[in-house]
Amino acid sequence: MKRLIQYIVATLLSACSMSCIEEDNFENSPIGNFDALWNIIDQRYCFFSYSEKEFGLDWNNIYHKYRPLIEKSNTGLEQFDIMGNMLRELRDGHVNLTSEYGTTFYWDWKLNHPINFSDSIQRNYLGANFRVNSGIQYTILPDSNAYAYVGSFASNFGNGNISAMMMSISKCRGLILDIRENGGGMLTSAEELASHFTKEKIHTGYIQHKTGTGHNDLSTPEAIHLEPSDGSIWLRPVVVLTNRGVYSSANYFVMLMRELPHVLILGDRTGGGSGLPLNSTLPNGWGVRFSACPILDRQGKITEFGIDPDTIVHITSEDWNRGHDTMIDAAGMLINRFYEQLENENKE
Amino acid sequence: MKNKALYTLLIILVQSLHTTALNAQRSTPTEQINPYRIVERCTLHGISLLNNLDTYLSGYNYTGAGYYFNHENLRNAHTGNYNWKYLTTFSATLGYTKQQSNSQFTLLASRYWSGYHPFRVSNRLQLWTGAQIQLAGGALYVPANGNNMVSVKMRTALAATGIAIYRLPVRQHTIDLRYRIDIPLAGIMFSPEFGQSYYEIFGLGNTHGVIKFAHPLNSPSWQHTLSADIPIGNNTLRIAYTANLYQSKVNSLRTHIYNHSFAIGFAKTIYKIKRKDSMKAYSPLL
Repeated sequence: MKRLIQYIVATLLSACSMSCIEEDNFENSPIGNFDALWNIIDQRYCFFSYSEKEFGLDWNNIYHKYRPLIEKSNTGLEQFDIMGNMLRELRDGHVNLTSEYGTTFYWDWKLNHPINFSDSIQRNYLGANFRVNSGIQYTILPDSNAYAYVGSFASNFGNGNISAMMMSISKCRGLILDIRENGGGMLTSAEELASHFTKEKIHTGYIQHKTGTGHNDLSTPEAIHLEPSDGSIWLRPVVVLTNRGVYSSANYFVMLMRELPHVLILGDRTGGGSGLPLNSTLPNGWGVRFSACPILDRQGKITEFGIDPDTIVHITSEDWNRGHDTMIDAAGMLINRFYEQLENENKE
Repeated sequence: MKNKALYTLLIILVQSLHTTALNAQRSTPTEQINPYRIVERCTLHGISLLNNLDTYLSGYNYTGAGYYFNHENLRNAHTGNYNWKYLTTFSATLGYTKQQSNSQFTLLASRYWSGYHPFRVSNRLQLWTGAQIQLAGGALYVPANGNNMVSVKMRTALAATGIAIYRLPVRQHTIDLRYRIDIPLAGIMFSPEFGQSYYEIFGLGNTHGVIKFAHPLNSPSWQHTLSADIPIGNNTLRIAYTANLYQSKVNSLRTHIYNHSFAIGFAKTIYKIKRKDSMKAYSPLL
């Protein structure tokens, strides 16, 4: 009892001696907002060690490069541009600054590469009688393969909707799943769609998160598994079409799908964006988004700068000019070749 | 028309007779007054002034106001020859706060179970000391944030608690002034790790490190309540100020929720009777 009273008194005294829990706030001034932004990234961004290796990023040098510019700046718009330029040094499409002046982006992961997609050419394949189910546009091509275009993972598809789509293309020989220009959305939507292509639980990758303010304070990688859906499962050949516009959760979708034996990734390298982003704010209320949780593939590699396809195919200028999509054509040929090989093996 | 008026008159007559009969039954209590069945019950409504910091969501304070609700039951209890007081409270706050142009919604709820041993210092002053079990939860919600738009608050704790009651004479009446302090000493709380997403915790089930031992060094929190019970006719008006100061510093995340509430309501003293006695007293069939 005496010990208990001593503990209570000691803890009360300790509590009283502690000051209020506050954050080390920066003042709402151009310098204060700049320092706050630099610190948020310094403490919470998850790819520093990777970026240092990949392209020699030195975040302390970045501070000394941009702070004098802020000191010389006169307007809020100038400060917004300077801070946006500082964030672009991270070369991460998930890092943005948002204010009344707009949102800054890093687009080089996409803009410095061939587009490899045209919605005008795509119309030649979708035709006039395509269906749309939960945002997925799909049709049956003349060679009896199904073509489905998934332009976004921003909303849930619905298990029943995907199952219904699969039922309506159930007589097709294979599925061309086009996710080009899909900039992402929700990881859960990517998982939901991918779950309709496996009949067993498979290990697809790992996830980490920051555990402290140090650049290397990352948690032990935890395994990510893809579990089969309760609805229809598609086990015939699937070719996933990719280009540099495939980013974030679409990149994650490719990471899941490439682990499946009946799936082939065709096209260009994806844009990447494998860090799950979180948000914070500056003293002046501007919002900042940054990658906080690295997602690794099954080999433990970071896919921040994209995933290479199994078969590299670009749209040729000849095809582009005559309204043909080289990737869709190549995907159809691969599925047809698969069945030809299967028939030959059966004959032998 | 005439029949309708007669019918209405008959209903009023029957109802008035029935009420008289019930009152007659009430005036003949079936047992002696038992002090352990007297319950003081009070419901308060008011406003909260909020100051929230949660570095999982933002490094800056959000300030604003909200609606505050509190309900409490106080009764005498005894274990063997030992007399004590048993207090249960439920409080909830629904608030809206801002940091510059950013909005945050606050939902907090707590349930406390307290037992006190009363000490009579004088005819006017009583001091109660005791222990308390606290269960609290809620969420801070920032719509502008993407994957970290919510910070869930869940904690349970064993707390030290004390009440000082001073009976202040004012003319022929008395006003009860009451001060209560609750200090959590040890418990467990939920907190994501520094940069962990709720997708990883709840979507993938990676819950390692999200339940933490809470103590006054990493979660120095306390609640003060000051109230005045003012008799008005047969009723008792209660005016209360509560400062619920919650803080934590775990997983490199800092949190404070300073909730200052001003509330008003009526306190009622009721006598709880057993069901069989209530049947005897009020049922016309028995």
